Parts: sequence; structure tokens; C-alpha cells
Amino acid sequence: MLSRIADSMFWLARYIERAEDTARILDVTYHTLLEQSQNSYRLRWDPLIAMAGEENRFQQLYGEANAQNVFEFLAFRQENPSSIVECITKARENARTIRDRISREMWEDINGFYFSVSRVNPQEEIETGPHRFCEKIKFGSHRFHGVTDATLPHDEGWEFLRIGWSLERAEMTARLVDVQYHNLLDAHSTLDAPDNHQWMAVLKSVGAYETYHRQYHSPIEAERVAEMLILHPQHPRSIRFSIGEVQAGLRAISHTTAGSYANEAERLTGKLLESLRYDTIDEIFKRGLHGYLSDLLRVCGSIGEDIARTYFYYSAVA
Amino acid sequence: MSASPAKMTQSGIFAGYNTGGFYDEMFAADGEVRPHYAKLFQKFASMVPAQFEERRKLADLSFLLQGITFTVYSDGQGTERLFPFDLIPRILPYSEWERVDRGLSQRVVALNLFLQDIYGPQRILKDRRIPAALIYSCKHFRREMIGVEVPRGIYTHICGIDLVRDSKTGELCVLEDNVRTPSGVSYVLENRLVMTRTFPDAFQQHEVLPVNHYPAELSRILRSLSPRTDSEAQIVLLTPGIYNSAYFEHSFLAQQMGVELVEGRDLVVDGEIVYMKTIYGLKRVDVIYRRVDDEFLDSLTFRGDSILGVPGLMGAYRAGNVALANAVGNGIADDKAIYAYVPEFIKYYLGEDPILRTVETYLCARPDHLSHVVENIHNLVVKAVGESGGYGMLIGPSSTRARIDEFREAVKADPRNYIAQPVIPLSRVPSYDPVNETVSGCHVDLRPYCLYDGQKVTIVPGGLTRVALQSGSLVVNSSQGGGSKDTWVLRGEN
Repeated sequence: MLSRIADSMFWLARYIERAEDTARILDVTYHTLLEQSQNSYRLRWDPLIAMAGEENRFQQLYGEANAQNVFEFLAFRQENPSSIVECITKARENARTIRDRISREMWEDINGFYFSVSRVNPQEEIETGPHRFCEKIKFGSHRFHGVTDATLPHDEGWEFLRIGWSLERAEMTARLVDVQYHNLLDAHSTLDAPDNHQWMAVLKSVGAYETYHRQYHSPIEAERVAEMLILHPQHPRSIRFSIGEVQAGLRAISHTTAGSYANEAERLTGKLLESLRYDTIDEIFKRGLHGYLSDLLRVCGSIGEDIARTYFYYSAVA
Repeated sequence: MSASPAKMTQSGIFAGYNTGGFYDEMFAADGEVRPHYAKLFQKFASMVPAQFEERRKLADLSFLLQGITFTVYSDGQGTERLFPFDLIPRILPYSEWERVDRGLSQRVVALNLFLQDIYGPQRILKDRRIPAALIYSCKHFRREMIGVEVPRGIYTHICGIDLVRDSKTGELCVLEDNVRTPSGVSYVLENRLVMTRTFPDAFQQHEVLPVNHYPAELSRILRSLSPRTDSEAQIVLLTPGIYNSAYFEHSFLAQQMGVELVEGRDLVVDGEIVYMKTIYGLKRVDVIYRRVDDEFLDSLTFRGDSILGVPGLMGAYRAGNVALANAVGNGIADDKAIYAYVPEFIKYYLGEDPILRTVETYLCARPDHLSHVVENIHNLVVKAVGESGGYGMLIGPSSTRARIDEFREAVKADPRNYIAQPVIPLSRVPSYDPVNETVSGCHVDLRPYCLYDGQKVTIVPGGLTRVALQSGSLVVNSSQGGGSKDTWVLRGEN
């Protein structure tokens, strides 16, 4: 498989995943806040902007955050390179450069997804509220996974897709837990009641609300939610599960067996996965959740760079 | 067939149709439906515009979802557009196609012999059958190719030869040759696919000759060019990338043939061997079906500013370590001034009379022709010799005075760069106009795709019928607002 094609596979999957995760978080936060008091709004919207890592740009465009402009910024604005529409556009551009290597069904699906998203009227969606739009994105992403799974040979190309969406999902979940946890600490000092709604929203955004209740049979507590999103061995959106997928993908490509590694990306992934397997949530909180997640995000960044160095951009002629 | 031949004056979508004095592919001059169109006419004549419109929308949606688009550059930013598709097919009776097939095969073989000769012994120049000055002044002549032994002696692996039917004679004749990197064959295959989905019943009533063996035949020819016989040939299709107007076709053909679609940056040359960069390291490449023009192929040999090609590629090619299709330097054979000499080549190399007629052509490089062109330019079509895609062209009768003056000066300043031909009243095919929901006659041409393996020429029956959908327009190029039609050759019907 050509390096350029592997590169495009990887990013195609990452962009679709980023669009879905953004849509999930946006949808749930928006609707949770409908039941909240006005004065806590700013506190709730800022973390979403922080997650996208675009605080400065947002500040320049709008100043104060509110329900409408956050939705517009995260969903539609071209100036935000991680906005949902921009992600879908880039996913489609990547798909277009490799359309001979993905299945015809995948291409037609992604292309149709792109047209349906790029032709919506942002003003109309903003008036309607984000639910309809976010559902469309979630559904589009699910369809992408379904069509891909059912029509693309599970060869190296498929593995690069899997690595792309898994690495992106791990990072997005880490950011989500991180910003919400900060928010929670701040909130404790200003609000009287412990804020369960916020954590409920987090669980719902990753589709883990029901799993949580089956697992813990207890009221929603920050530590348990964090445990579930970081360490759960089977939930498909937990960090541990996602990193396990990255490892499986990398090993399938290099034909490495357990206990060894063929490149730096595999070494870092293996090391990270082992710590996720044996860490407990109490230890993580003792070390400090923010520090733990920041380290984890740095490692994820390095894994992405090492994959690129190993497979995409190696120097060709000595 | 019915006892009394159908007439166009019937109702349905053909109500009020007028052949306008042109040769109509569907209707004879007296309004009678031509025999090979009889069944299709009955089917369409029974449809009301609303039914037709519904089918048309389905077909359009299918093209959009598949991303079958091309890019136009005239607005400066390269916009993606649907290639308009007209649902009324162009039908050729088998007897006529059989003659066209023979004529094109003859022409392709002669063009290949010409290129072998020009880059080899140059017999035709020594025998003074064509002026040497015309060859050396052609901007697509490649000195670097002289003496190069191309694999199996094939230059013209893939040719797209444009035919038009002159309304005055009713005969199909050759308008121009495209032997560099002709495009459009993907539309032949996709148009057929969409057509079979849109009107499956029509295919049950006709024996339409299939076209979808094209990729397999092309793949077979490419494989046969490999310089390595000890291992499976590694074939790639070299594209300029997603911003190229024919990118859809590049990816389509690569997928259909199961070969790797590469860009210049995916390839490297080391020690006169071409490699592609894969996730498992470098892998040797044997055959390149290149859709990048000569001048961009290798920045070490041709344009130094090109990033579309592969530095060192020509070295590997000349060393015989990689095959290119089509060969480098083919532009000399489809130069519009050389075109006038092709009937001569056919006689010279094959000792045969040309089967297909060509269009009368004035070479501005010849002083006697030049004065005729300058005096009659308002009645002529003037073309720049090295251009394609409908660019650099003047249609005298439908141009403004200022534009005619501009062209006259350009011709006088650089006569070698221009030829002129009489305006050909192209034949027409009924075509649906979605804005007015009526059917009207639109001018068409025909580009069959010819594949040459060094022994025989294979042509998929029919080809691409391009149609000038703008009322009265004679320009069928997609970059100039043209569309296309499915083209049927009917088995055994005359």
C-alpha cells in the first residue's frame, strides 16, 4: 500500500471521528443546559471551546460565548479548522484522493454525507437547535463505520482507518474528561449542590449512560464516570479500549506479536496500554487527573507522529 | 417494425420536434424515423415530459453521488461540476460501425508507424512526403525521444479519435486525433451503467454491444509492456492529482484495472529504476500509464518547475527499465497541421487508401493557404495546432468582429501555429432540455477509444458521444458547456 494512501486512510477516519465526537458533545451539553440557570451558562460553554483548542479564534470572532454562537462555531464556521462541516469536508477530500482504494459504497456514502452536510443552512439549524444536525452527523458517522466494515477488505488500509478513528477517539475522550473535571472543580466552589447533571451529560455524550448504571448501580459520581471513560475494558469509547484498538491495528500492519514492538509508535502504544490496564482510578486521582490526562494526550500526539514517520513520510532515498 | 414508418409529428416528448435542416441521427429528412431508432422512438414517444423528467433526476442523482464531476478552470478557482448527461442515446447501426472500426484501426496503425519513423529512421522525411520543417517546428516534438526504443514498438497505446458527421454528406469523418492522453472513456462506461439502471426495459428490447471490457483490455496491454518477465508486473496510473479535471477518470480506471493510482510524489527514481513509496518501503514499478503531459513528466528533462512528475523518469525510460503509455513525444502525431498529412501516411506506410475521410484543412504555414485563410476567416474554423479541449479556437461565422480581427492578426504573426477548416454542419441528435421540458436537436461528435497492442487495434463499440447542449452551439467540449450521451452500436441491425 502506498504511503500516501495509508496517510489519507488515517486522516479520513480521524476527521469523521472528530466530527462525530464534536457533535455528541455539542448536542448533550446544549440540551443539559436548557434545564440550567442562566448564570452558569458561560461556565458550561467555555469548556467546549477549550476542547476544540480554539479559544483565541472564538474570542476574536464572538467575544462572549452563548448557545447560538458556540453551536455556530463548532458546527459550521470555516475559520474553525475542527468545526464539524470542516471535518466532513476534509474527510471527503481525503476519500477523494483514495477513492480507487476504498469501496464504491464507502465513497458514495461519504460523498453523499458531505453534500447533505455542506448544503444545510446554518441559520436555520441554529434556530432549530443542534439536536437535528448532531443526530445527522452521528448517524452519518455510524453509517460510515457500518459501510466500511461491511464493504472494505480488512487489510492494511482498514487497519489505518481503525488506528485513525481509535486514536482520535482516545484523544477526544481524554479532552472531554479533562475539561469537564476542571469545570466541576470550579463549580463546587460557586454552586451549592454537587453537579451531577454535568457528568450525566458527559456519559450521555459518549453513549455510556446506560452502561454506567449497569456497571455501578450507584448515583453518578465524578470518580466513577472518569473510571469508566478512561479505564473501562470493553466500552468502545473508553480510552483504554481505543488504545487497545490502536495497538491491534499497528500489530496487524507490522505483524508484530505480543511482547515485542517493531517501531516507536508500537512501543509507546504498548506502554500506554499497560498502564491503562493496571492503573486504578484512585491512583490516577492521587496523581492528579489533569496531569494524568495531559501526559496521556502528549503520548497520543507522539504515537500519531511516529506512525507518520514510520509509514507516511520516511525518507525514500539515502 | 410497423407497416407504416413512425413519424416525428406524434405526441409525447417529440411533439413539435424540428430537424432544422441538419442531418438528424434519429429522423430522416422527410421526418421518418430511421430504422435503427424505431423501437426507441416508440418507447420515448409514449412518455410525457413529467415521466421523462423523473428518470432524468434519478440519473443526475446517481452521477452526483458517485462524484462523477469534472473541474473547470475558467473562473479562476476550479469549480467541480456535473458532466451533463442526456438520456436519449445516440445509436449507430452495425454496418456503419463496422466500417468506422476498420477505418480507425487503419489510422491508429499508421499513426504508430509514423511515430516509429519520426523518432527512428525518418524515412518519410527523406522521401520528402512531408516537410521536415513541419516536424521540427512542432512544439510537441521531443528531441529526447530520437533513437529511444519504446517497449514493443508501441507509441499509441490509447487513442481517442474524434469523428463528426457532416450534414451535407451524411458521412462520418475524422476531425482530429488525440494520441497523447485522451480522456473521457470513463464516461462511456458510467453513462452505460446509469443508462441500464434508468431504462432497463430499453436494453431488453435492443441488442446493444457491451463496452465494459475496456479496462480489462487496457490492463492486458499495460501488462504486456513490462520490462521484467520474471515477476508479476507492477503497474501504476500516474495522475496529476485531485485538482486535475479528469481525476475522476484516473481513479475510476485505476480501480477498474486494480492498479495503483499514484502521484509524482509517490514515485522516486534511484539508479534508473522507478520505485513507489509504500508502507513497507520502496517497491519497483514496471509500467506507468501516465495521465500527466510530456512537459511535466520529469523536471530534470522537461519543465524544471514541474512538481507533477518524477525527477529522473526519462532516464529510467530511456534505459528500458520502465514502460510509459502513451509514449513520450506523441504530440507530433496529433498536431493539427500534421493531421492534414495522415491520409498520406496511410498510403505511404500501409499502401492502402484511407477508409475514413478527413476534413479539408488549410495549413497557414503554406503561403497559398494562408492568404485564403486571411481572406475568408469569417467563414472558417481556425484552430491553434497544439491545443486541445476546445481552447484556442475561432468559429468564424459565430464570432464577433473584434475576435475575428484578433485571430487574423495572431494567424499572420505565427502561421505555423494555426490551421483552418470549413465550418462543418455537425449532425444532431434529439436531446432533452430540462428547462423548457422539450426535446430539441443538438449537435454531436463521437470519440471512440482505440487500444493498440502492437498487433491489433481493439475499439469498444461506440465511444463517447459529446453533445453541445447549448442551443445552436457547435462546441461539444465539456470545458465549454458540452454534455454526453450513451452511444449504442446495435448488433446485427442495419
